[in-house]
Amino acid sequence: MKASKQFTPLRRIPNYLVLCLVSFVAVAPILWMISASLKSPSEILRYPPAIIPEEIRWENYTDVFALQPFAQQFLNSVVIMALVTVLTLLMSIPAGYALARIRPIASGTIFLALLSAMFIPPEATIIPLFQYAAALGWVDTHYPLVIFTAALITAPIATFVMRQAFLTMPADFEDAAAIDGSGRWRTMLQIYLPLARPSLASVVVLACWYSWNQFLEPLIYLRSPEKLTVPVALTHYEDPIAGPLWGVQMAATTLSVIPVLLVFFFAQRHVVAGLTAGGLKS
Amino acid sequence: MSTQTRPTPTRGRASGREKGRNLFGYLLLTPQMIAFTAIGVVAIGWVIWLSLHHVNVLAGTQEFVGLDNYARILTDPSMITVLPNTFFFVVVLSVAGTVAALLLALLLNQALRGINIFRTIIFIPALVTMVAWALVWSFIVQPEGLLDALLGSVGIDGPPWLRGGWLTLVVFAVIQLTKNIGINIMILLGALQAVPQELIEAGRIDGAGSPRILRSVVIPQISPAILMVFMLLIVGSFKVFEVVLLLTEGGPGVQSSVLSFEVYKQGFLLNDVGYASALAVLLFALILLLTTIIWQTRKRVIFHEGE
Repeated sequence: MKASKQFTPLRRIPNYLVLCLVSFVAVAPILWMISASLKSPSEILRYPPAIIPEEIRWENYTDVFALQPFAQQFLNSVVIMALVTVLTLLMSIPAGYALARIRPIASGTIFLALLSAMFIPPEATIIPLFQYAAALGWVDTHYPLVIFTAALITAPIATFVMRQAFLTMPADFEDAAAIDGSGRWRTMLQIYLPLARPSLASVVVLACWYSWNQFLEPLIYLRSPEKLTVPVALTHYEDPIAGPLWGVQMAATTLSVIPVLLVFFFAQRHVVAGLTAGGLKS
Repeated sequence: MSTQTRPTPTRGRASGREKGRNLFGYLLLTPQMIAFTAIGVVAIGWVIWLSLHHVNVLAGTQEFVGLDNYARILTDPSMITVLPNTFFFVVVLSVAGTVAALLLALLLNQALRGINIFRTIIFIPALVTMVAWALVWSFIVQPEGLLDALLGSVGIDGPPWLRGGWLTLVVFAVIQLTKNIGINIMILLGALQAVPQELIEAGRIDGAGSPRILRSVVIPQISPAILMVFMLLIVGSFKVFEVVLLLTEGGPGVQSSVLSFEVYKQGFLLNDVGYASALAVLLFALILLLTTIIWQTRKRVIFHEGE
């Protein structure tokens, strides 16, 4: 396996075997999910199970919307995701620029404080944040999911990414812009910001992804079915007596996975860069 | 650095400009700093304060009890299971996660035909939310599910995967590890592709075999990325939560529970807010302690720490 540059075809076979096995572990759950989403309740628990459903049952997909306001819940997730991303950009672009290019006194300390935020697990602050939300009357609203998430998690990581991006840019532009009479704001917004476009894409992806993925927070803050977000909604396809409604649940899960996969196939480079941004840029 | 290159005609004007510059910097930092302080710093202070109190949620009263909640962690019989479970995930997910991601990154860094397809496929689980991944897996490991069927086809009777004990922890570790390994592979793959080809060629000319080049050239070159992946995995391994909640709710008893799940259970299901806060502080302290230790030892293990 380590003999990467030895081009003997036989030595490649074990490589392909390992790759195929790992790919199977990665994809089999997804394919199984899609298969189950098309099975009837009687077939889904049959043993041994079949991979291809003997009768395609689309009703699972209509049941997804009949049992819960899933379209509304999907929209909630998308709106929250968009708002988190906007707030994250609004906070992290100026902060990253200040830490990289302006460097006011004590910016090193400020940077360290923000960096430490990346290590605070959401479980450690969820109790005071819930009391906070309750005191503000924000329980069963989307405010804490947007504001707490952006302020505490996505914006500090994004500031980190934006700071790295602005650090790599030459200082000469600043001087040239000053000689041309460009003010500080214009220098930031019209000269440096456009150069940071790849990092902006990463920040958008990582903020979207974090918000879309969140589970503990919406589980705690939200109550009404029409306010829920997708991850929490997925866990509600259960019959109180019979247990999980596997077919419907897998159909809803499939519906939640497909859009992300589509985005990935159209913007693969940006998605990979965004999801690895927290680590790569350090 | 950019401030030093600035032409400074007179001292008075220069310091005035310097002051304006500082003010501009603080202005840019204000939204982020206010939000972070008002929410993050206050929350940390608040959770510590709560951990020193007995909180009665129904009556709305708080009574100062000193370190009682922390003493309770030491005497709580469920902690004898929960803390080792938590450390099991920290050790297994960080070590196995790093090694597996590194091996796969090396494998995916080769010039094999169709390698891009494999890179894409292996990244797919990273695009599924943790909840979706956990739900699909709970369907797979249920009795007479896909896993039992696969094992049954080669004549093995599937054991009860989710009835507690080490087997359930291993199942959770596999679910958690496969979910995010794609991200770590990509981080390492990016680092591998940045290793200067001249170094590898030079090693080859010196007569080093592939294993030797890997050990003496490639691994040292990508060691900062390996450390980053290791730290990300350590922090992430304390957050094994969705799997526990959705597959077993920590049961039977607390056999498959971890610290982060106990925070949720004590705080929101049993309404024991003071105790839950003490557990949350412990969780945070453990993460800080571990990451600090690793960060402090980085100079010994990282090749040319010159960032």
